[in-house]
Amino acid sequence: MSYAYLFKYIIIGDTGVGKSCLLLQFTDKRFQPVHDLTIGVEFGARMITIDNKPIKLQIWDTAGQESFRSITRSYYRGAAGALLVYDITRRETFNHLASWLEDARQHANANMTIMLIGNKCDLAHRRAVSTEEGEQFAKEHGLIFMEASAKTAQNVEEAFIKTAATIYKKIQDGVFDVSNESYGIKVGYGGIPGPSGGRDGSTSQGGGCCG
Amino acid sequence: MSMEASELQDLSDDADYAASQQQGSASMMRCDSGKRSSPSEHDDAELIYLKDNVAIHPTQFASERISGRLKLTKQDSVLFLSWIPYKGQTSNAKLSEKDRSLYTITAVPFTEVRSIRRHTPALGWQYVIVVLTSGLAFPPLYFYNGGVREFLAIVKQHVFLARSAEDANVFLVNDFQSPLQRTLSSLELPSSLPVASGQYPSDGGTSNDNQGRASADVGNRVSSVNQYGLRKQKSHDPTRDLSIHLLEKFSLVTKFARDTTTQLFSENNGFGSIDKRWNNQPVHSYPEKLSNIAEEKHQESPHSYLDNDPFKDEEIANNVDVPDDPLEVNKLSLVWGKPRQPPMGRKEFTAFLDSEGRVVESKALRERVFYGGIEHQLRSEVWPFLLGYYAYDSTYAEREYLRSVKQMEYATLKQQWQSISPEQAKRFTKYRERKGLIDKDVVRTDRAFEYYEGDENLNVNIMRDILLTYSFYNFDLGYCQGMSDYLSPILYVMENESESFWCFVALMERLGPNFNRDQNGMHTQLFALSKLVELLDTPLHNYFKQNDCLNYFFCFRWILIQFKREFEYEKTMQLWEVLWTHYHSEHLHLYVCVAILKRCRSKIMGEQMDFDTLLKFINELSGHIDLESTVRDAEALCICAGENGAASIPPGTPPSLPLDDIMLYPLEDDVL
Ligand SMILES: Nc1nc2c(ncn2[C@@H]2O[C@H](COP(=O)(O)OP(=O)(O)O)[C@@H](O)[C@H]2O)c(=O)[nH]1
Ligand SMILES: [Mg+2]
Repeated sequence: MSYAYLFKYIIIGDTGVGKSCLLLQFTDKRFQPVHDLTIGVEFGARMITIDNKPIKLQIWDTAGQESFRSITRSYYRGAAGALLVYDITRRETFNHLASWLEDARQHANANMTIMLIGNKCDLAHRRAVSTEEGEQFAKEHGLIFMEASAKTAQNVEEAFIKTAATIYKKIQDGVFDVSNESYGIKVGYGGIPGPSGGRDGSTSQGGGCCG
Repeated sequence: MSMEASELQDLSDDADYAASQQQGSASMMRCDSGKRSSPSEHDDAELIYLKDNVAIHPTQFASERISGRLKLTKQDSVLFLSWIPYKGQTSNAKLSEKDRSLYTITAVPFTEVRSIRRHTPALGWQYVIVVLTSGLAFPPLYFYNGGVREFLAIVKQHVFLARSAEDANVFLVNDFQSPLQRTLSSLELPSSLPVASGQYPSDGGTSNDNQGRASADVGNRVSSVNQYGLRKQKSHDPTRDLSIHLLEKFSLVTKFARDTTTQLFSENNGFGSIDKRWNNQPVHSYPEKLSNIAEEKHQESPHSYLDNDPFKDEEIANNVDVPDDPLEVNKLSLVWGKPRQPPMGRKEFTAFLDSEGRVVESKALRERVFYGGIEHQLRSEVWPFLLGYYAYDSTYAEREYLRSVKQMEYATLKQQWQSISPEQAKRFTKYRERKGLIDKDVVRTDRAFEYYEGDENLNVNIMRDILLTYSFYNFDLGYCQGMSDYLSPILYVMENESESFWCFVALMERLGPNFNRDQNGMHTQLFALSKLVELLDTPLHNYFKQNDCLNYFFCFRWILIQFKREFEYEKTMQLWEVLWTHYHSEHLHLYVCVAILKRCRSKIMGEQMDFDTLLKFINELSGHIDLESTVRDAEALCICAGENGAASIPPGTPPSLPLDDIMLYPLEDDVL
């Protein structure tokens, strides 16, 4: 139950790309093709371990339809990580990535870690976006990239954990002032205390306090 | 109308009337501060309101009347009403001095007034009838210069006034005598706001601050009771009396079945004897020990609100001082909310119809549905009325005809997209996108519910066809997520494609704005909700304000699909038919939001939830909300808010019909 850190994640992308399925696969380790479409936002949570530290991920799964963007934007506030998802079998979901990214850049904090996920890679025979294109887009925009499948669970665990590891590294590197919750990080038991915790000033130097 | 017109004629050439016109608006004055001695019985009474040319008609002839002066005075926190006829200024010599004194109203305390009925015809004179708790009523008081509304507004500043559920022109005088109640009922008038902000720190204050205030309150308890409520004839400790009344109140609730309880509240006047006792109690000043008893009783009572943990308040950190609920909703609903009746069955429904099938009294039918819902097998016959697809005054034959015409019309509409060839579709991006979205969503709608479960379910296909046809019928609005949540129960109930379509069309006439691309329908409703919370729970409103939660996005799902995801399927249908009656208000769903929020207020504020926590908390209430008590609370809040509530909701707020239908659905280029 207790954690060293709590990270807030948000999952974004067009409707139907498999956001809810990815979340369920990650939290419950199952694929449920029949479930209700997301209205507003839904929540999931899971504990992971990074660097021997328990980290709780609190994940916000959003509705993807265009009309709901104005509501979705209010969810970015205080997210430490985002999974930006497209469907490799539907080209238009890839074409919309730029606009999602623009939203994220505008409404999330600048240090939010973004993971680009090309989902449904089990449907390789219907592929409409090549792996290279995904890689290219990620590189251009400074995102981490993976192709995954909520159905087969391929890379799902990895995507969530890699994002967390990146955030964790940023903490180690002193990118965040973790006492400021607008970064989407809460410090729990055993985490790095922020400046208010009376340690060594506003940033902690890498490895200096957690080794 | 002819009667009123002749009345008008009768009086307009009257010298007395002309004189009154000259006095004009100067005849009304208000003294908000300082004491002004009234010339009559109370030397130290404060004059609150004075209105000249208020007359009584002792006979049916409008010309025979006694003009006089209407006054509101206040003494020892009790408001008094008087009406004194002018001396020697009768319009008709036939009226004697005796008549004059007979009709004089000398300082009737509002604690003895049960209700005020107002009558404000477009033509003719406005009047009010004051009904006493004894059942007696004074003859109508005619306001020759108009001003009934102002009169009521001023009364409202001093006593708790709520609009009757049965008759919008009847205002129940309830006289809770609680300062917080007064704050609520006086919100309508800006001039009274200083009083309100004196009660609550609008900046919220720190918790230390609150604690300081709380302990000061305890110290002043007895004096505050005197100040706000009990008449001073109680020579013994008033709080002791209070405890007895409270216990009586709660034991009554547990002792009798709910319907017995409500029988105690007479239908038309809202209050019976039990309330009379309750009326005089200051809701907030009772001692702590007693409030614990009250809470315990509440938890035992059959309608302990929520059946599951998220609502339990025990874990609230003790160091956070939660401001009192100005309305104490569970007690209010004891007073106002009627228990649900069993659902209406066929026999009962048939009794509402004349021999040709017209609904004779649509209001009575809607009232019946409001309080009990509809038996499932009957829903397919009643929903079309509630939704506005069938007209209440249509006959069996007319409806039969309507169905067949509409069926053909539906087939034509459906044909529009069915006839799109693959070649045409290739060049019709919007169609492909919509179809793609709908295809994806119908397979993600209520598939766990037996009517839609399983692969290759035909009902899922019908749902798809209806939604696609709708997106052609209303091409500007198109398809938006959430629509399938509305359609699913409709199709399940109607079990007929065309009928479901037209019911859905009727529903979307009102709720279409929920799905506007710019979300303006949602934003107006969320805005109205924030206004209602401000009115009905100022401390909670202030809390949301301080915590940056005023956009009320945490209620987004509730409103978008009218709680469809918060209750199980059957319960949702029950709630919807209640909402669709528009019985107390078109906007009862907003009061439902307030009711739920109020039930969680101490948890929300006690745990100092921020936006994220609150959103998650509200999401997780799904499946844990008790429908019946929520509806009762919502009804109570709606009645309680009365005109002030209605005024908080901007005109045209869904599901009200739009103000103008020129640009129903603002167009934007790409529909995703
Ligand atoms: N084959 C395949 N289907 C998927 C995968 N992920 C999701 N789906 C399907 O895509 C549809 C939409 O998924 P959902 O998670 O609801 O999408 P969301 O709108 O982004 O939340 C569902 O009906 C799933 O069955 C995947 O990895 N592989
Ligand atoms: Mg989803």
